[in-house]
Amino acid sequence: MNMSTPTLVTFVVYLIGMLIIGFAAYRLTDNLSDYVLGGRRLGPGVAALSAGASDMSGWLLLGLPGALYASGMNQVWIAVGLTIGAYLNWQFVARRLRVYTEVARDAITVPDYLENRFHDSSKVLRMISAVVILLFFTFYTSSGMVAGATLFEKSFGMDYGTALWVGAIVIISYTFLGGFLAVCWTDFVQGVLMFLALLMVPIAVVAADGGWSNTVAQVAAVDPARLDIFHNMTLFGIVSLMAWGLGYFGQPHIVVRFMGLRRSSDMPTAKLIGMTWMVLALYGAIFTGFAGIAYFAEQPLANAETVFISLSQLLFNPWVAGVLLAAILSAIMSTIDSQLLVSSSALTEDFYKAMIRPKASQKELVWIGRGTVILIALIAVLMARDPDSTVLGLVSYAWGGFGAAFGPVIILSLFWKRMTRNGAIAGMVVGALTVILWKQVEGGMFDMYEILPGFILCALTVVVVSLMSTPPIAAVQDEFDAFEKTLHQ
Amino acid sequence: MEHALSFATWFWLIVPMSAVVVLSLVTYLMGK
Repeated sequence: MNMSTPTLVTFVVYLIGMLIIGFAAYRLTDNLSDYVLGGRRLGPGVAALSAGASDMSGWLLLGLPGALYASGMNQVWIAVGLTIGAYLNWQFVARRLRVYTEVARDAITVPDYLENRFHDSSKVLRMISAVVILLFFTFYTSSGMVAGATLFEKSFGMDYGTALWVGAIVIISYTFLGGFLAVCWTDFVQGVLMFLALLMVPIAVVAADGGWSNTVAQVAAVDPARLDIFHNMTLFGIVSLMAWGLGYFGQPHIVVRFMGLRRSSDMPTAKLIGMTWMVLALYGAIFTGFAGIAYFAEQPLANAETVFISLSQLLFNPWVAGVLLAAILSAIMSTIDSQLLVSSSALTEDFYKAMIRPKASQKELVWIGRGTVILIALIAVLMARDPDSTVLGLVSYAWGGFGAAFGPVIILSLFWKRMTRNGAIAGMVVGALTVILWKQVEGGMFDMYEILPGFILCALTVVVVSLMSTPPIAAVQDEFDAFEKTLHQ
Repeated sequence: MEHALSFATWFWLIVPMSAVVVLSLVTYLMGK
């Protein structure tokens, strides 16, 4: 399959649009807070869609429809778990984190927040969290680039290296220029594109199948088991899939959107927009894959993950197909840019400013931020040049690792005054180690997704070690009281 | 209809994911 001219034109317009947004954001970026947090001026719509689009990678348009296409309704559980997790994150973490990061000496990154929250002068907390972010997000970014370039190689016969460099240059350009605002505004446009694509495609497929009843009948003719949400599922398996939702509380590239919101009172609006977007997008992905079973009943696809892209090409004219293609690319790019910027902020704020040049000017810091965006992106591109590289396998630890190491620490730090710095450090180490070790063992309870034991053990460790250590000093407790007071104003 | 999604499938497909949107709407309206 080669790219038709209308598809190519649509696609180029999309890429140019992203660059224009980057340039517009460049003009509004004066200091490091602007560059890594947009100067806390995101409106609720942009914050919500940006959080959603950064969260949902190519998995939303490739992986999830592919899983539904290959196995049927029993793949829905992961979507259910993610939805519940995202909701709880908006409900219990978002507003508190927005308020506390401002009370805690205007923290602009997650490591910055943790250090300020516990008045940790040793910088241990900041360093551990910044290293983890830097390490995993560089691999994550690289793995996203591999996914994007592979997609273009397989779908359009484009050279892998060319696709990799074109995608990387566009992402680097707008992130380099406009930082957080560029990333969030492009995420917003990308989120809208993904949303429209995930509404259009399933409706078109069900119509092409001859309506909903016919779709279900044809799926049943292929394999009746694919209609059953419990097919081949044990309670253990369902819990394991739903546990993916626990990951949300600890993803730095998602929670930083909460910190960037203009006013904490905008949170209910942002939550409503974010959850509506997410649920409709997930339904779109689910029904695309499901209806795809009927559509391709006669000639099944060789690769299930191409179900969305194949349907886009077959059911729509090339101009619309170009937009749908841009939507897939949007899903991939919106995750890469966010992770790239979080990694850059860890290097700039948590290493350069905290350790090397505490008195650096804002202008210097912004340019260091821009430099580290290029540096990290280049490392990611170099790693992505070999898509079979084993280091990219580290990505499989990232969602669970962040969720188990940071999730309980962030939640407890927002709710529990008695929590201590040592509790936070011990919890992060235990959460991360549990995820890594659990993954090495197979069979029985070790087949459970490692985030669940990691999350529980991290939370328990935080509580036990905090209670065993000296209570926080008065200044920390007073700050917690000030935070609660601001929260309830 | 001979083949249809079972009640349990519809239930788990619709209820949890819709519930979060309804709950978000309630919080939004209460804040108005």
